[in-house]
Parts: sequence; structure tokens; C-alpha cells
Amino acid sequence: MVDIARRAGARMAVKSKSMATEEIDLNEALEREGITPVETDLGEYIIQLAHERPSHIIAPAIHKTKGQVAELFSRELKRPVEADPEELTRIARAELRQKFLQADIGITGANFAVADTGTVVLVTNEGNGRMVTSLPRVHVAVMGAEKVVPSMTDLMVFLAILAKSATGQKLSVYTTLVRGPRRAGELEGPEEFHLVLLDSGRIAQLGGPLREALSCLRCGACLNVCPVYRQIGGHAYGHTYPGPIGILLTAMLEGTGSVKELAHASSLCGACADACPVRIDIPKMLIELRREVGDQKIAPWIERVTFKLLAQVLVRPALYRLAARVGRVLQRPFARGGTISGLPLFLDDWTRTRDLPPVAARTFQERWAAEREAAP
Amino acid sequence: MTARRRVSLMVTCLGDLFFPDVGFSIVRLLRRLDVVVDVPPAQTCCGLPLFNSGYHAEARAVAARTAELFRDSEHVVVPSGSCAWMVKHEYPGLLAESGLAALAGEVAARTYELSQFLVRVLGATRFTSAVPGRVTYHDSCHLLRGLHESRSPRTLLENLSGAELVDLPGADECCGFGGSFSVRLPEVSTQILDKKLANVEATGAGCLVACDAGCLMQMRGGLTRRKSPVRALHLAEVLDGGRP
Amino acid sequence: MTTRAEFFARIRGELRKKPALFAASTAARPEHPATQADAIRRELAERWPETLEAFRLEFERVAGVFHRVASLDDVAPTIDRIARERGARELVSWHAASVAGDGLSRALTARGLGVHEMPAGEAADGAERARLRAITARADLGLTGVDLAVAETGTLVLVSGAGRPRSTSLLPPCHIALFDRTALVESLPQVGVFLEAWHRDGAPPADGAVVNFITGPSRTADIELTLTRGVHGPKEVHAIFEDGGLRG
Ligand code: SF4
Repeated sequence: MVDIARRAGARMAVKSKSMATEEIDLNEALEREGITPVETDLGEYIIQLAHERPSHIIAPAIHKTKGQVAELFSRELKRPVEADPEELTRIARAELRQKFLQADIGITGANFAVADTGTVVLVTNEGNGRMVTSLPRVHVAVMGAEKVVPSMTDLMVFLAILAKSATGQKLSVYTTLVRGPRRAGELEGPEEFHLVLLDSGRIAQLGGPLREALSCLRCGACLNVCPVYRQIGGHAYGHTYPGPIGILLTAMLEGTGSVKELAHASSLCGACADACPVRIDIPKMLIELRREVGDQKIAPWIERVTFKLLAQVLVRPALYRLAARVGRVLQRPFARGGTISGLPLFLDDWTRTRDLPPVAARTFQERWAAEREAAP
Repeated sequence: MTARRRVSLMVTCLGDLFFPDVGFSIVRLLRRLDVVVDVPPAQTCCGLPLFNSGYHAEARAVAARTAELFRDSEHVVVPSGSCAWMVKHEYPGLLAESGLAALAGEVAARTYELSQFLVRVLGATRFTSAVPGRVTYHDSCHLLRGLHESRSPRTLLENLSGAELVDLPGADECCGFGGSFSVRLPEVSTQILDKKLANVEATGAGCLVACDAGCLMQMRGGLTRRKSPVRALHLAEVLDGGRP
Repeated sequence: MTTRAEFFARIRGELRKKPALFAASTAARPEHPATQADAIRRELAERWPETLEAFRLEFERVAGVFHRVASLDDVAPTIDRIARERGARELVSWHAASVAGDGLSRALTARGLGVHEMPAGEAADGAERARLRAITARADLGLTGVDLAVAETGTLVLVSGAGRPRSTSLLPPCHIALFDRTALVESLPQVGVFLEAWHRDGAPPADGAVVNFITGPSRTADIELTLTRGVHGPKEVHAIFEDGGLRG
């Protein structure tokens, strides 16, 4: 990529929103070569000004308030700016319009590619995708190798699904089908067109346990319904792709070891799988990842010992009954008025914020057995 | 006269250790409906906690033992959606590797979550409430999205004499329990719980009903911690108002 | 970097590991797309008024402004009115042959608009190209034709090509698209048939590098999820439907 930009003698690159270029840290690489990357999706532009990373795959600046955006803009323009979305949008239009017209190279991701016509497809609502693919002299599209669909007929199906799940529209405002550089007779369009396909672990998963995740359209529907994502936000995941699907993609791109903690950052509530338009069973694969983490012995040893012990207890009813009795003895100092409100050491992870029911004075099975004896 | 139905109760680890009253409510409800109830002895757990944490070999051993206990049961009734889901959804695949596919399939087919068994098998929908006044219902994740059941518990609560069912906003959202998730990420788990409980309190209901011991542990723990007047009860306890 | 051969070999190797896991089958493609496209056209020739009405509803739902005129003579006054209401003076247009012929440009000029028609082919040199781009970037209005108007989604499909620059519908703050019943289709799957036909049997409406689907004005909700229009593309999109048939 840097090579292409260098050969084009580029000094400024305009980009339309692309998670794929986030994935490969392209902006940093361009900067090292003295090429200024400019994000043109409004949300991406905002977080670029803030020197941050996207927190959502559809609405990257969803964590910013309009006041914070106004502050960023006034710092950039060195003049006061009103905290009004309409006004902020107008300013961004004027600022970015200049960049579109000046840039030497346009870099985009791709939502799809159509195999039999050799077409790269870009979906945007703002129109920056059209700008980036039309105005600069060179266009480079970067996409994961999994985004290819066979034909235009399939594409029509996916376009409708993507728009509906991402933003609730029947179709996003702009869908741009790019068939290559400017053609003979055309007034405008790039002179050069490059397509970069990313593998980074994707192809290895075609036959692997995470293969379903390759169908992901990056619509973000699973993020919007995820209780964990809604609490912690995108940045807390610490990788390019946030949310439950992000855990799977991170494992795919960076290996299972990179998600040994994240694999557990889900209550497995299944809301993601329910919302997913292409029916990716995310919880199933999270469990699969947990299994790999355990099997590869990269889980902490204390955890592995605990679960192995638990398993021993659960296959031996005598041990299980003993454990209940031991629990009753140990909880004695802490149980008050039928609840436990504080426990020592790591056991406090539950009781710090919630009460815990104590082990019953007599378990169901103990009572049941006693009643049977009393009245056979 | 048709033969009386026979039910084996799978009380589950949480039900056995922490909520024994729920089990006895179920026994009473079923007996009143002329069902013969037995409890296969020496039950422990369905294996779900091990399975969901990725300890599949260990889960398989527990599952094999549990499936074996219910080999001859006519119907297996489970008070938790998540355990019912484990048996129905995961046992067949998990136990296929131990050569127990046939047994797992049979047990799975005969297993029901309590509300499903009452409504869909027995057709019993009229009960007397043990808690007068407004009640609201939380959909537990595995029952709703795993077993696709949102109707049966509501049917029971709508027809419950002496109680009024009110809608819980965001009823289908997770309570934040998630098994080991609740102690691995306790802060996040509790934040999710707080949202749920705020919704519960906004309904003005005096009782929050659920069909899963895990959710109950989480939500009751949160309610008592915030000294809320709302009680969290298992569906069986609420239906058990006609106690003899 | 990987060579093409290595890349495909790796994909094949992985797919062999677990065959048939991707149960999804591809959509059924039209056998003879050109024939089917003709059939769609013939059918719609009968029931175009319903399709037009459906298009109008959807187009307005996505915040487009719909106009309907009886004949070509009414087009210039409509555009003039749009211009006056906005205090707009300068209009860039696709080459006349791709919109509605020479008469329209003359009529608009006669009404006092500054009309800049794009050339039928390439620019002679870089300087000329830069000049035309500057004109487009400054213009208040952009006038184009339409290749397909999709009723299901309220979408305008524009194929780029000689005399049909893509910037005309992109840089000016107000885009005006002129079409007649021959452009109407009902659904996205029908668009798929046309795209297949253009690709497979040649004869696309223009041989440009880009096909654009435009569904309403440019929009964003990136600041606090507040919907605002015209962030990069036009703030307004007008569609003028001409009853008589633009090409005679
Ligand atoms: S996993 Fe499904 S819901 Fe989530 S982004 Fe991908 S396609 Fe959308």
C-alpha cells in the first residue's frame, strides 16, 4: 500500500471508512512515509481529530458528544464553533471538500466484491465513498478476502440486508459499483485502480471452527443489542473490531491467545445471534474459543484446576453432598437474615455488588429423601 | 381413563442447593394436576457451567451421568431454561462422542422447561397466585432465544387468579448473570443488572418472576442489596398459591 | 504479498478440509438476462403508472423531491423554478445527448441560467479537466439523466460514461435527475437482472467505470445520532418525471 502511494508521489490520502485499513494500521504506516491520511467519514474524521480509534463499526464516533466535537473542530480551525450538529456538519463539508479536491490518492475499504464482473462495491450514506473513488488520481481498495459474492444477483440480496441491519434503511444512500479505473471516453475517474485482498488468518478459518464469522457483513446489529458492548463501549475491547463478533474476528486475525480474556467477556445471552442478519451463531463460537483457550492451557492454572475439581465433584454425588455440607459450615459467619452480603478473598467478586443466597439449611434432595422415609 | 402422566424432576444444582422451595412448589403443582412425580436420586448438575466455560470433556462426563439418571423417565421437567436448553440442545452433540447419541437424543426429546410442560403438554393454564397484586416477567436468555419460548410463562401469568401481569420494558434483555461471567467481570455484570432492576422498579410490580435459577440468583441478589421491596420469585413459587 | 496461484491454492486447501459446511447456496441467476430484462420492460410498459406511484412514495420517504411534467417543454420551467427558489444561478449538466437533447440546455440558458454542459468525451488535457472540475465544484445545480429508477427503494441508478461524469450528481449541493417511464423498474432483484444483462451481453447504457445507486440526499448521523443532510454529497435530490418520453 505504502509502495503504491509512494509511486504515485502522494502527499495526502483521503480515506473512506474502512475497518480493513484500521486492522492493518495503515494510517500509521502512511504517516511514517510522510503521507497524510485524512479520514472523510464524518465520524472517522472526528475521531481522527481526537487521535482516537473507532468505537463502533458503523458509528465510529458514537461515544462523542456534540460539545466535544465542537471543541475538536474549533481547535482544528482555530476559531470558536457552535455545538450544533447541522453547523458542525456544514463545517466538515467545507473542510473535507478541499481535501477531496487536493488529494493524490483515495483509499477505501469495500463492503462487497462481485466475482464474475470484477466489481468492488462501496456503501456509504454520506457520499464520501463516491468522492474518494472519483476525484483522486489513484484509487486503492482494501478488503478482507471473504467479502466476495458470486454475482450481481447475489449482491442485490446482500445490499438490502446490509442497509436494513446497519441503519434500518431499505438501501443506504450511496451504493457505488466500481469496475476499475477511468475508461476511455470518460471525463473523470482515477487513472489507476488497485485492489488489495487481506488474508491475515481468514483463509485458514475457511475450514476452521470460526468459519461462520467469515460471513459477517459488518452491519453492527450484534453490537447494538449486546448488553456487554452497551456497558463497556467499543474501546474496552482493545482491538480493531469490537463487540461479540469482534472477539471472533480478533481471534481469527491475531490468534486464540489474543482473546484468552475476551472470550469470556460475554454472558452468552444470544442477543447477537438473534440480531444477526446472516445468522452467525456467535455464542457457539465464543464457547468454542473458550474451549481452545482451555485446551491450549493458556487459561490461568487456578481456573483450570477449579473447573477440573468442579467436574470431579459433579460426577460423584457423595462428594457433591459433602461439598454442600462444607459450604454450609463455611458460610456460617457470613449469612445473615437469609442472605450473604460479603465474603472474603476472591469470593467477594460476587458479593461486592450483589447478595448471595446461602446454601439451604437442607437441600432439596435431602428434604425429599427425608419425606420419603417419613411417608413411604 | 388415561394413564396418569409421570414426571421426573431434574432439580438442577442451583435449585437443589439454593432454592429447595422451588422444587417443592413444582412437586405440589404437578401433583395437583394428577401427575406422578419422582426425583431420580443422586442428581448433581446438567454440566452447563463446565460446557459454557469450554471444559467440554469434563462437561461430557457430567452430562453422561445425568442423561443416564433419566434414561427411563417418561417426561423430564426442569425449573431452569438454561439447563433445559443444555439437555435439549447440547447433549446430543456432546454425548455423540461418548457413543451415547441415542440416549442423549431420547432424553432431550422428553425434557421440558416447567412452563412449557404445564402449558404445552398438560394444557394447564389456571393457577392461583401466591403473591397478590402486580407481577412482571423477565425472559431468561436461554429460554427465550435458546428454546424460543416467550409465550408459555406469560400465558400462565396472564391467567393467574389474584395477580396482574404488567409488561417489563426490555424484558428480553440479559440480566447480566451469564454463569462464570458474573464473577469474571462482576462490574459489567452488575451494571447490566442495574439497568434490568431499574426497569423492574419502574413497572410498579411487587414481584419479579423468572424461569431460571441463575437469573433469580442474580436479580434477587441485586434487589436485596438495594433494599428493594420487589421480590424475585421463580414461576413455580408464584403459581403455587393454591397450596393445600 | 502472495501470488495469485498461492492465494487460490490456500483457499482450495482449506475448503477441502470441511466440505459443504457453507450450506448457503447462491441466488438463482437469470439464464438469459437480456431476454429477461426485455420481458421486465414489456410488462412494465403496461403497468408503469403503479410503479411510478410506488417510486414517488419511496423517493419522498428518503427525502427526495418528486416532480412530474407532461412534456419536455415543461422541464425547463420546472428546473428554473427549483433554481429561483434557491437563488441558484449556475448549473452543470451531463452532455445533452445523455439527458434530453439540445433543446433543454437552450431553454435553460434562455431563462437566464448559467448552463455548463459537460463534453461528450474526454478532456483534451489536464488543464481542461481541472477547469471542468472547478466549474462543477462551484455549480449550484447538477443535472443528469437516469438509467434506472427503482420503485422498491426510491433509488436512482446512474451509469457513468462518456458525457456522463460522476461528479455532476455529486459535487453540487442540489442534484436534479430527469427520467421517463423507460427507466422505471420495480425492485432490486430486477436491477440485478439489468446489471447481469449489461455485464454479460454488453450493451450497457454507457461504458463507464462506475454504477451509482443514489437513494435520497447525502446523510449522516455521526454526531449524537442526529440526522443531518448534505455532509459530502448533495443536500437535495430532485427527480423530474416526464410523461411523454424523453427519447421520442
Ligand atoms: S456478526 Fe452478524 S450482526 Fe454482527 S456485524 Fe456481522 S453480520 Fe452484522
